[in-house]
Amino acid sequence: MDIALLGNPNTGKTSMFNNLTGSYEYVGNWSGVTVEKKVGLLKKGTASLIDLPGVYSLNPLSKDEGVVTHFLLHDSFDRMLNIVDASQLERNLHLTIQLLEFGRPLIIALNMVDVASKRGIEIDVEKLASQLGTSVVPVIARTGRGCDELTEFVTTIESPSITSFTVSYGEEMERAIERLARMLEGKVNHSVRWLTLQLLEGNHYVKAYLQSFIGKEELEVFIHDTSKAVLSNVEEKTIDHFIYRKRQAAIGALLRNSTYTEQENKQPLSEKIDAVITNKWLGLPIFFVVMYFLFMLTFDWLGFPLSDMLDGIISGPITNGLESFLSLIGASSFIHALVLDGVVAGVGGVLVFVPQIFILFFFISLLEDSGYMARVALVMDRLMEHVGMNGKAFIPMMIGFGCNVPGVMAARTIETPRERMLTVLLTPLMSCSARLPVYALFVGAFFVSHKALIVLSLYILGIVVALILAKVFSTTILKGETSFFVIELPPYRIPQGKALWKSTWEKGKGFVKKAGTFIFAGSVLIWLLSYAGPQGLNVEMDDSFLAMIGGLFAPLLAPLGFGTWQAGASLLTGFLAKEAIISTMNIIYFVPDEASLQGLLINSFSPVAAYSFMVFILLYIPCLATVATIKKETGSYKWTGFSMGYALLIAYLLSFLIYQIGTLLGF
Amino acid sequence: MLASLKIGKRVKIIDTSGTDRLVRRRLLDLGITEGSEVCIKCKMPFGGPFMLESCGQCVGIRRREAQTIKVEEL
Repeated sequence: MDIALLGNPNTGKTSMFNNLTGSYEYVGNWSGVTVEKKVGLLKKGTASLIDLPGVYSLNPLSKDEGVVTHFLLHDSFDRMLNIVDASQLERNLHLTIQLLEFGRPLIIALNMVDVASKRGIEIDVEKLASQLGTSVVPVIARTGRGCDELTEFVTTIESPSITSFTVSYGEEMERAIERLARMLEGKVNHSVRWLTLQLLEGNHYVKAYLQSFIGKEELEVFIHDTSKAVLSNVEEKTIDHFIYRKRQAAIGALLRNSTYTEQENKQPLSEKIDAVITNKWLGLPIFFVVMYFLFMLTFDWLGFPLSDMLDGIISGPITNGLESFLSLIGASSFIHALVLDGVVAGVGGVLVFVPQIFILFFFISLLEDSGYMARVALVMDRLMEHVGMNGKAFIPMMIGFGCNVPGVMAARTIETPRERMLTVLLTPLMSCSARLPVYALFVGAFFVSHKALIVLSLYILGIVVALILAKVFSTTILKGETSFFVIELPPYRIPQGKALWKSTWEKGKGFVKKAGTFIFAGSVLIWLLSYAGPQGLNVEMDDSFLAMIGGLFAPLLAPLGFGTWQAGASLLTGFLAKEAIISTMNIIYFVPDEASLQGLLINSFSPVAAYSFMVFILLYIPCLATVATIKKETGSYKWTGFSMGYALLIAYLLSFLIYQIGTLLGF
Repeated sequence: MLASLKIGKRVKIIDTSGTDRLVRRRLLDLGITEGSEVCIKCKMPFGGPFMLESCGQCVGIRRREAQTIKVEEL
């Protein structure tokens, strides 16, 4: 049995999905956490649950919303579970009505009944259910209360009856529905009532669907005739508004009978917090202070000591243990070198940064879960508007700090195609967590007293370059007038410890996993390339294949301050995954731990060259996984190629300027 | 016009016909349309967006859009 999970954004669909399936999906407190459908198995294993992006209506504005309409039109499922936010019942029921019109079995999960009752709203669940003609189950998805009952109910109820509840849109509309039914001659399985209403509301997906059965002109005539007939004796000017009003009236009647509101004038806590966080003058400074704390904790106060400790363990006990083990089993010197100089150096060099990456992910999860993200979008909108984007684009960029792949995907929530393309192109400039080990290594060697500040400067540089390029692109290749910004600001929620940990783990897991697979294999390959050369095996590193390959790029990189084959080779592997740069360097410089690598680096880089190198790594190319995502999201080789090309150009230019000017100034 | 209101004053929206189509549609999704009671919670500096409150939910919109929404005092 397949159950589709539908509801407004920010009503806790994903929390519910996680609770019901026992699996984990990304949860956040802003609109658009889920941008495509995800399938999970219900805890008892009897049915699968399909999580869909949140929508206010089935008539989509943005691409993620289109996923839902496309799903309803083209995929098969058995029943629908509609999550409704009890504290915003009136708005949520607009979607419920459209789902009821769709005419499939529907069960309502009434979520956040606790929030509603805190706001003085009491809902008579049975009355609501009997009026709608569906089952209504009250739950609190965040804490999991009522979820077991819901699972039980959803899967065991024989066949939920299709409701007889209908909104009356007047005689003209009924006639139009009959007319469309005749035009379709029974060729579709979907409810004609639903199709008619969606078509008249201006739903492009439904229109395209109907055009596969009915001629385009005939359909236009139908829309025109119906609109004229329906609007002839009402005050509404457009048909979609008319439909909205009718639904609104039906919902009003429904709620009068089933909810009781106590008038309270107490200012909710959320608004008190907002009075400070989105304060006219404090908004931006607070955002920067938050970011500063995030970086100090990750790089200085907490992250560095932890990473150092781990480095000590890997280079000490673990390496020694492996060494004695290899000697014990009498491994050949080839295997010895492969394990210690290849795998331990390559994989260990990356694993050392696990604590810092987890701290970063923890704070990103905290920001997401609390509801702060939407406020950042609001605070940033004015700045973003100046460069031809909108504040919402800042959310994908913040996600990009964790990993560019979900960042690029989060751009789907942006409604206008032009702004969406800009966001997809520019999010890879956000410094992701895989670039973090490179900075950590270099600032540890060259900028010991200003570690966090130097790293922060790189993050800010990424944002500044993105904003400047946004301005350039939006006035040249991506011109357009439409800019659009309406954002829902959800109430603040205190993040739950368990959810927060899960969210951090899910993000960080990918990094650890990558170290065990991709980086592991890459390290072996790189080591082999450094071990073998045209003259045979076990050659001097400078005569190896790796040196030959890296050497091809060295002359090109010389004006940037790092014209060595070592830098060339590590940048090449960095395209596969940014943290591979560290693995490669560890292998090339042939050192057991981070500290001695830093010692060696001081000999081959000057401080200004080191900074130039970090800037180059920040900007030079999206990693392979990001490139694949950009291709998927834009559907265009041209734009994908462009996203790599402009990055390379900008990185080269900036590093060149930094190194040349820095050297001139005598750094 | 909504844009010229003082912070914290509650008003009723009477006309959104001059508002951008997409903005109007999204506000409608959020339950904000003709007849809704709203109040401005804060205004961002340098011509930045506004934060509106309606029926206990907060929404951010641009100043430019707020200038197209006609309101009347309660």
